Amino acid sequence: MILRTPPPKRPRDAAGEPIIECPPTAGGSDRRLVIYEDPSPAGRESSHQPSDHLLCTYQCRQMVKSDFLDALTNVEKQVRDYQSKLEELNENFSKAEAERKKFRDQFLYAEQELAAAKGREGVLQEQLLKEVDDSRERLKKQIQLCSELEAKHRNELNLRRKAESAAASAEEKASLLEGKLTHLSDSIEREKKRLNNEVTQLKRESKSSISRIGADLEKMECRAQNAEKESEMLKNQMKDLKEQLNECLNQKSEVEKKLSSSTFQEFSTTDSNILVKHLQEEIRNYEAEVREARKLKASYENTELLKEKLLEEKSRRERVEQELAKLREVQQSMDQLEDELSSWKFLIRDIPGVSCSEDIPVKFAALQKEVIDSMMKLGEANAQLKQMEVALDAAQLGKQSAETEAALVKEKEEVSKSEVKRIESMLSVVTEERDKLRNVVNEFKKPKNDGGGDERANLTLTKELESSLAKKEEFIEELESNLHAQQEINSRQRDEIKSLSEKLNNEERRIKSLERENDRLRSEISLLESKLGHGDFSSENTKVLRMVNTLAVDNEAKQTIEALQTELQKTKEKLQAVEELKSQSGDTGKLVDSYISGKITQLKEQIATLEKREERYKTVFADRISVFRRACCELFGYKIVMDEHQRANGIPVTHFTLQSIYAQGDDEKLEFEYESSNTNIMVNDYTSQPEISRQVDIFVRKMNSIPAFTANLTVESFNRRTLS
Amino acid sequence: MASRTVAKDIITLRGSAAIVSEFFGYAANSILYNRGVYPEESFVKVKKYGLPMLLTEDEGVKSFIANLTAQLSEWLEAGKLQRVVLVIMSKATNEVLERWNFSIETDNEVVEKGVSRKKSDKEIMREIQAIMRQIASSITYLPCLDETCVFDVLAYTDKDVAVPFTWIESDPKLIANPQMVKLHSFDTKIHKVDTLVSYKNDEWDEQ
Repeated sequence: MILRTPPPKRPRDAAGEPIIECPPTAGGSDRRLVIYEDPSPAGRESSHQPSDHLLCTYQCRQMVKSDFLDALTNVEKQVRDYQSKLEELNENFSKAEAERKKFRDQFLYAEQELAAAKGREGVLQEQLLKEVDDSRERLKKQIQLCSELEAKHRNELNLRRKAESAAASAEEKASLLEGKLTHLSDSIEREKKRLNNEVTQLKRESKSSISRIGADLEKMECRAQNAEKESEMLKNQMKDLKEQLNECLNQKSEVEKKLSSSTFQEFSTTDSNILVKHLQEEIRNYEAEVREARKLKASYENTELLKEKLLEEKSRRERVEQELAKLREVQQSMDQLEDELSSWKFLIRDIPGVSCSEDIPVKFAALQKEVIDSMMKLGEANAQLKQMEVALDAAQLGKQSAETEAALVKEKEEVSKSEVKRIESMLSVVTEERDKLRNVVNEFKKPKNDGGGDERANLTLTKELESSLAKKEEFIEELESNLHAQQEINSRQRDEIKSLSEKLNNEERRIKSLERENDRLRSEISLLESKLGHGDFSSENTKVLRMVNTLAVDNEAKQTIEALQTELQKTKEKLQAVEELKSQSGDTGKLVDSYISGKITQLKEQIATLEKREERYKTVFADRISVFRRACCELFGYKIVMDEHQRANGIPVTHFTLQSIYAQGDDEKLEFEYESSNTNIMVNDYTSQPEISRQVDIFVRKMNSIPAFTANLTVESFNRRTLS
Repeated sequence: MASRTVAKDIITLRGSAAIVSEFFGYAANSILYNRGVYPEESFVKVKKYGLPMLLTEDEGVKSFIANLTAQLSEWLEAGKLQRVVLVIMSKATNEVLERWNFSIETDNEVVEKGVSRKKSDKEIMREIQAIMRQIASSITYLPCLDETCVFDVLAYTDKDVAVPFTWIESDPKLIANPQMVKLHSFDTKIHKVDTLVSYKNDEWDEQ
């Protein structure tokens, strides 16, 4: 059986000769002594008695010696090598130690940096927390504002809807009014046409009437001429007739003379009779002629009348001609007016929202208002613009600061990244170093395995190195974990930065909306300020006091006092003069007395008239009062009697007694006391009845309404009356 | 020297109230003189705020203004006064023709904690001087008072102020649709006084 595993190491003290060692199995090794004759017992013995084997033969001894010498030189060489290696390792170890120290320093430095980073992180976190709180508060405010704005928005929407509905109704009205306008324009055109027709008709009529009048005139002229001729003829005839008449009269006188003469001559009676008959016939003829002459005269008068009429007609014609000229002018002016009217209509059509001429002033007023409003709005908008600019500047400043903060944070992040990179590089360096050291240790181990007990110190060293390496690895792991943590923190911070930048954007938007709100509020404030300047105040926290100013009153009083004093002096002077006069002559005193008595009687009369007037007022007042009472009784169903009492303490109290017109007895009375606008019901026999007292409790005490009580009572007693 | 000037620049509530109430007294006198509410010969010239100021010699007006400034000073020290208005009215119709409006803003911290503020007397005097000049020059644009006028003083106070013996509650005696001219203001750092004159819009002049 071949043992593969090496036997347990002997302690150094137990081995007498430390150099030679003969393990029982020397599988292929040249440096070990091997006895070939009896391998297993010799191997066992050799471990106990090595000197016996060495003394076997000379040859063997020589061989062994040479072998031993070789082995010794080899071992010595190996020892030297090991020593050099050990020195190298020692150097390496010292180097490693130095490196370890360096690493430790680096590690400490990294730790410090880590702590610093943690501190920074804490600060950043605090800052972030603060910012988050601030933003939360802002958010809350914003939400509040938002809700307010939403409410306002709703109001605005409602208003807009109303305005839209109003606009729709206005449009409807406008369309209606347009319809009316078209209707009116149609009617106006119709009217115009009618008037034109009338005008043309009138023109025609006037022309025809002018021609008629002209014809009439000519006719009349002809007639007049004829009449003139006739009148001349008739005049001639009349003259002839007059001459004839004169002749006749002469003849008649002659005949009469003859008759008178013939009275004495009876014989001539028959002749005279004949003559008389002739004469009578002649007279008739003459009478007929006279009638004709009269007719002629009348016709002459007629002609004159006609002439006058002609003149009148002429004047009328002239007037008509004038009227015609005027008519032309009127027509021209009418045309002009029509042109103007059409131009105005076009204008009206051009103006939007105006359907008829009555709308124009309204429209103008609305436009003026709009202009004023727009001016005011412009001013407000300007103010808002300025405020917005200011706010924008502020926001930009804020943005810049936020950007700088973000840049700072980014820089920090980069710094931390570089730190991480540095740490990583350090880590890689350390791992490399570790690997190298491990290799070195491995290399060291290999010869150590071969080297034997000498290198136990080396082993312990390597162990220490390994343990330090393990520690270093642990440190490295820690550093890696720290690195991860830091990376995580970094990523978190990045996320936070992103969220913060988003918040910043949101805040900017909000700031803008707030600026708008602010502008609106400022305009309101300016309005309110103008009101305030005007002198308005809120009665909630302000009261207006006036210092009692008696200066004017004092002045007036002084003036009146002065006037009264002067008057008093004057009257005193007068009195003195009167007394002097009295003393000088008794008559004048009497005169004064009579004057005074006259004055007294006058005053008495005045008093009497005033008393009469008072009496009259009293009666009128009593009449009115009785009418009022009767009306009250009719309207409310109660007879009201009022009288005044004085209480025991001297305070006057008005006492009212009400009796319903439906009362069934005289004792159904309600009594009230009225004192300083406070009416109280008084308890009497009637009100102390259970039914009534219940009603008093309900209506007067609980509901505090006397009218309801009396009305209810009225209805009840009315029902009782009518039903019974 | 420096310490003395520093001490001079410190202004207390009481000092501020005294400055403001004194200003009201002089302003009232100046308005009454410039607006011809009292005859010119009843005024006497004194020097104040670096200007020749006019003070009434009428005993009644003098005592009235003295009482007024005393009361205003009291209210100013308590921080209860919001506004003082000198109203000029027609004697015949009692119609308000002008309202001289002095709005007062009080620093509440000073009233509550009794701290003091810093402002130089010179600067305050300069500000008051500007107002006085404006009051004197206001006759150039204010409508002529061609009827006998009387004046009244209104004080807008806090609601909780007890009404003194010589004062009564009143309506604000406003002018409907007035013209307003804002004058300079002065500030003692404790009381800020804004001056504004509003007067009846003379419609006949415009037409």
